Amino acid sequence: MHDDEPSLNIPSLLTLAVVSFFVIRWFFNRDDGPAGASRPRGRVDPAQVEQISQMFPQLSTRDIMWDLQRNGGSAAATTERILTGRGLETPPPSFQPQIAVPSTNAAAPQVPSTATTKADGQDLISRYNLSSKIASEKEEENSTVSSTSSWSQNKDERQRLLQKRRDEMILAARRKMMQKNQDNTQ
Amino acid sequence: MGSSIAQKRLFHEYKNLSTNPPEGITAGPVSEDDMFYWEALIQGPEGTPFEGGIFAAELKFSKDYPLSPPTMKFVGGGVWHPNVYPNGTVCISILHPPGDDPNHYEHASERWSPIQSVEKILISVMSMLAEPNDESPANVEAAKMWRERRAEYEQKVRDEVRKGLGL
Repeated sequence: MHDDEPSLNIPSLLTLAVVSFFVIRWFFNRDDGPAGASRPRGRVDPAQVEQISQMFPQLSTRDIMWDLQRNGGSAAATTERILTGRGLETPPPSFQPQIAVPSTNAAAPQVPSTATTKADGQDLISRYNLSSKIASEKEEENSTVSSTSSWSQNKDERQRLLQKRRDEMILAARRKMMQKNQDNTQ
Repeated sequence: MGSSIAQKRLFHEYKNLSTNPPEGITAGPVSEDDMFYWEALIQGPEGTPFEGGIFAAELKFSKDYPLSPPTMKFVGGGVWHPNVYPNGTVCISILHPPGDDPNHYEHASERWSPIQSVEKILISVMSMLAEPNDESPANVEAAKMWRERRAEYEQKVRDEVRKGLGL
């Protein structure tokens, strides 16, 4: 057990040298920024800028960089801000973003094609279980459908509204087609 | 992180499509628990044999949407059309990423990029129904019929439209 005496062997000396090299380099690089310009927090990651500008091509890269820089480089926070409709602030003219080098290798992996099964010969009425609605529709013949747009803050309500619009679209088309057939045979 | 950006963008598109739906189009996630799987209904364009019909399609998005395009597949009765595979998969340029041009004729501007959207895809598919692209048939038989026996093609489409509505 006496062999465990602490001693500076070559690997630990090397590690120390490498670590101190990086620490010193970081220390000097930090003060190496553009003279006078005080950059509050770390630089903006070009990948994040690109990611956001791809989602929202209408926004200026400068605005995105400004927002990212101010929130400490959180792409999620910037996205959130855009989506909640608050919009991005216009950066002051003194803001000098680093030019983001667009990464050219944004090769997206292809979605695996699951297109092997043959389309099933199912009509829309059975697909969406609309036969009961067709039956009830005959009773209230002239129920005017008047929903054009629909959105709700409630998730279940949204789901219901979407389904309603879908069903109405199919049923209206079916009614129209039946009407057309009747006109043709008369 | 990446997938949550995709989810947010898809939610944003879903909201736009619901509050301001384009004529003849209904689209949204089958369930909001999975924003990467949508279903869309497209009305057949007027003045074509598809007129009066409603066509259901599923859209599958990858986790890195909008970098890569979704895939779109007609479900149910299938669609007899030169640019729709017999299994229902839609083959148009807007669904191909820019780097991938199997047909060597598409302009980069027509192909997928994050500037495109679900709405633009569905509108493109609608106009594709009206005007088949004969250069790259996905359904060779349908393309041949469309070229050589147009009346028969149109009748077949009309029959499928009626079948799709359960008539």
